[in-house]
Amino acid sequence: MKTKKSLTLALVGTMLLSGLLAGCGSNINTNANAPKETNNSAAAGNSAGNTSELKPYELKMYLIGGPQKDLDLVLKEVNKYTQEKINATLNVTMFDWGDYDKKMQVITASGEPYDIAFTSSWTNDFRRNAANGTFLGLNDLLDKYGKETKEVLDPRFLEGTKIKGEIYGVPVNKELGQQWVWRFNKKYVDKYKMDISNIRTLDDLEPLLKTIKENEPSDITPLAVPKGFKPFMPFDYVLGDELPIGVYMDSKDGKVVNILETPELATSLDTMHRLYTAGYLRPDVATLEGIDNIKTGKWFADREITQPYAEKGWSRSAGYEIVTSPMHEPYVYTQSAAGSMHAISVTSGDPERAMMFLNLLNTDKYLRNLLNYGIEGTHYKKISDNVIEDLPAMQDSYAMPGFTLGNMLLTYLHADDPADKWDAFKKFNDSSKEAPTFGFAFDPTPVKTEVAAINNVTKEFMPALYTGSVDPKTYLPKATKKFKEAGLDKVIAEVQKQLDEWNQTKK
Amino acid sequence: MEVFKRKPKEVDNNAITPFWNVVLNIIVGIFAFTCVFPFLFVIAISFTDEKVLALNGFSLIPEKFSLAAYQFVFNTGDQLFRSFGVTLLVTVLGTLISLFLITTYAYVLSRRSFRYRNFFSFFAFFTMLFSGGMVPNYIVATQFLHLYNTIWALILPIAMNAFFILVMRTFFQTSVPDALIEAAKIDGSGEFRTFLQIVLPISLPGIATIGLFCTLGYWNDWFNALLYIDDASLVPLQAMLMRIQNNMEFVIQNSMQMGSSFEIAATLPTETVRMAMVVLATLPIALAYPFFQKYFVKGLTVGSLKE
Amino acid sequence: MSAFFKSLNKDKVLWFMVLPGTLWFLIFCYLPMFGTIIAFKDFKIHRDGFFASVFNSKWVGLENFKFLFSTEDAYIITRNTILYNLALISLGLILAVGIAITLNELVNKRMAKAYQTAMFMPYFLSWVIISFFTFSFLSVDKGILNQVIVYFGGDPVSWYGDTRFWPYILIFMGIWKSIGYSSVVYLAAIAGIDKSYYEAAMIDGASKWQQIKFITLPLLKPLMVTLTILAIGGIFRSDFGLFYQIPRDSGVLYSVTNVIDTYIYRSMSTTGNIGMSTAAGLYQSIVGFIMVLVTNSIVKKISKENAIF
Repeated sequence: MKTKKSLTLALVGTMLLSGLLAGCGSNINTNANAPKETNNSAAAGNSAGNTSELKPYELKMYLIGGPQKDLDLVLKEVNKYTQEKINATLNVTMFDWGDYDKKMQVITASGEPYDIAFTSSWTNDFRRNAANGTFLGLNDLLDKYGKETKEVLDPRFLEGTKIKGEIYGVPVNKELGQQWVWRFNKKYVDKYKMDISNIRTLDDLEPLLKTIKENEPSDITPLAVPKGFKPFMPFDYVLGDELPIGVYMDSKDGKVVNILETPELATSLDTMHRLYTAGYLRPDVATLEGIDNIKTGKWFADREITQPYAEKGWSRSAGYEIVTSPMHEPYVYTQSAAGSMHAISVTSGDPERAMMFLNLLNTDKYLRNLLNYGIEGTHYKKISDNVIEDLPAMQDSYAMPGFTLGNMLLTYLHADDPADKWDAFKKFNDSSKEAPTFGFAFDPTPVKTEVAAINNVTKEFMPALYTGSVDPKTYLPKATKKFKEAGLDKVIAEVQKQLDEWNQTKK
Repeated sequence: MEVFKRKPKEVDNNAITPFWNVVLNIIVGIFAFTCVFPFLFVIAISFTDEKVLALNGFSLIPEKFSLAAYQFVFNTGDQLFRSFGVTLLVTVLGTLISLFLITTYAYVLSRRSFRYRNFFSFFAFFTMLFSGGMVPNYIVATQFLHLYNTIWALILPIAMNAFFILVMRTFFQTSVPDALIEAAKIDGSGEFRTFLQIVLPISLPGIATIGLFCTLGYWNDWFNALLYIDDASLVPLQAMLMRIQNNMEFVIQNSMQMGSSFEIAATLPTETVRMAMVVLATLPIALAYPFFQKYFVKGLTVGSLKE
Repeated sequence: MSAFFKSLNKDKVLWFMVLPGTLWFLIFCYLPMFGTIIAFKDFKIHRDGFFASVFNSKWVGLENFKFLFSTEDAYIITRNTILYNLALISLGLILAVGIAITLNELVNKRMAKAYQTAMFMPYFLSWVIISFFTFSFLSVDKGILNQVIVYFGGDPVSWYGDTRFWPYILIFMGIWKSIGYSSVVYLAAIAGIDKSYYEAAMIDGASKWQQIKFITLPLLKPLMVTLTILAIGGIFRSDFGLFYQIPRDSGVLYSVTNVIDTYIYRSMSTTGNIGMSTAAGLYQSIVGFIMVLVTNSIVKKISKENAIF
């Protein structure tokens, strides 16, 4: 009893103290309170599209990438321009690649106000955030302040990122389709006069791997892939290609299948195991996080996701020529539109203004390039109207990751880029076909316990199976059994249910 | 301070026999060697040419010597020195603050006459197991205390730790006899003076241990910097290293989904740079270690106290 | 209550000394503990900040805890976690004390210092970097161990594919990395022992072994007990890097390398959910807490002085 009382006393003490501390510190961080005060400027911006009537507002924006020394310098220029256009200034904070996800999780969960954040399928997960209510629905805002952005985007970008009919982020206009290619070290292709133009499947590839294995020294890895390798299979993976739940690519009825029980998987795994036993892969592939084949040049083939003129980029960074052959035609999956997006936070003090800014970023060539390449004469110089050359200051103090900063198709080209680069992107996107569940987003909440368990089983079995490191005859049944115990069937049933409902609403 | 004396140097006739001395030296020596071995490799890799490393793997003597990694790190301009300064400041200031908080709290717990010592022991212990988690901590530190982007964010959240307190308490309990405190009291020494002039000097080995642990804790901490610091001038050394490490892992794991990954991969530092950072972040603290060591290898005699 | 005021009056200075630490615990530990409610909620973000988010989120009872027990893996991870911890705690204790005593007895003090500094080095390397080196030993094709085995005419071993070796490897690596750190405490404690005890023992003709048994060990006992009780509090937690990085996340090895912490990490990889991760942490804490209460009360029965509260 006594201890209880003294505890209460102590607690009251701390509360008083923390109140005090909060009081004296409050002048340090005025930023945190600022957006709430400017709340009413939203109303002003709402009624009038006219810039002069907008109250000044500072947009707080989080971007991914290594913090850059000259960011403040560039922002000064940006602000001059945005003040004129929408009477807003921009305050950008960048978090490094590996830190971004954790930082954003803490910031959003703690309810710290901000306006715009970078989001995607691979960091600061777009779907998780939208489901948790972190992001603002943008349907109306886009119609009001983002018409121009909507026009430049392939409509499938927005279609793919909708959740229950609502848009939660503005996708960056870039490659939309997803296409896996086999990449080859051209040195060996030439040496053995191989014809790679028709290499699609693992079976097509096998004889080439055999040639390399038989004729080259043992330190050349014929198929140089790491742990994440998966043979391409004709499925639309509903929960990401980690989990074995999918719909056949050519499916008409939208039936969700357990991929483990399909003949396609069985054959692929058999082939992989054959390739593995023949020694075409690294023996420790199942535990290899990454592989440094590109650096050493001691490899023949691997796989990668492509985009127009990707070979050029790969060859340039490798320092020798790399050629490719597609595994399949480009597809648009639900998640492929979510490779890079910007979302507006529910805690934003002025969502209208945030949308106006995003609209500028995606349609205004000057602003877009300013943010990406910095200041002309300082960070780059122009060679012609649309072609630039980097100055040393760019590499040193303003190297921004272009694909995270809005409409890629507006950016300047470099001298060694093909002149039709962005047209090729457009063509590539137009040629991409929609996957059968394109636009459908699964909500894992009702089966989150099962999904958690399945995640574990996946990591236990799939890398070893997909890389051929184990014999599928004994290992696949084991995996299947364990997946079922973890509740795979229940998850499939839930996916089917949600997919059917979604199909209904589509009709 | 005259109350204790180091044992004078003399022929130790209580030493173990030469046979056992050799045997134990060999066993401990081999184990100690396995402990430094990886570190030697880290140093070797940091001086190896990047291309050669990728081609041939690593070896204890660099096949092609190169300073490129260090050049890269030092080329970040004053960032490295600044970070070093931040780490140094945080470590020294933090250790002093921690030692003050820990020794005072632990001393009270060690006093058998103090009625609520069990309550306060439990009060501290409970926090070892239960914590609010990252987000509530973040809210307290940023929204209540406004520590964001201040040096205090790197010190205060790890200033205390129940583990250190309970270890310190045990040190006090075993090395400070109750009779000594009673005697001091009778001599008219105030509680606080007794603590400063009698208790602390006797407990020097324990304080050195906890001091060492705190120093290491501050030196190695990167997590608070991740949460609370985005001002480049306040980023400590380990956080710089951790960023490199996190980035490398992240890009390897997510390159498939990111698309344009070669763009990013090109900006990432290499394996040799990572190792150079490890060397730069570890050597200074490893060199500071002997400073603490003298307090727990030599030992003290408290015999004179009892007179 | 009056006893409280009496103590306040009598031990003014002690109360004053315990105050700064108490405030620190209240602010940095007890205040944030309200966040634990998230474990029982379906956490959704609300625009008015964290507190609004917490209060407006739905109660879901124990829903967030379910994933920890949903499959038979629950048994495996619990077994692994407890067994590894028991091994690491007991071996760690014996070796830390053993090394501290040995270092203290070595004739050449300079060598003793050098060994001790060397043993501290692994503490400075992260598990990621250490796994880099274990891989250079254990890799199937290029690993040093396999090269040695092949040289002597044996068949190369697939280290990352064979569960038999891993309990030993993990325990060795765990001890290897932490022993320098943990033996320091005992070294300091030995340094703090009054030398006159040994002098007296020598006069009585006690052998080295007897001195250790009847002087050193009994005087180290309080510390050993405290540290062991505290370690038992962490019985449901493990050093994530050791169990994730060192086996290189090799799926084939999960049956002997998967522990509660790695399981949680893998579960969260696609559905990352703050409610579920809070729930998992709470579960680990509660079990640890109960274990400590039990151990502490047993210790209290045997020797009141050595209990931690």
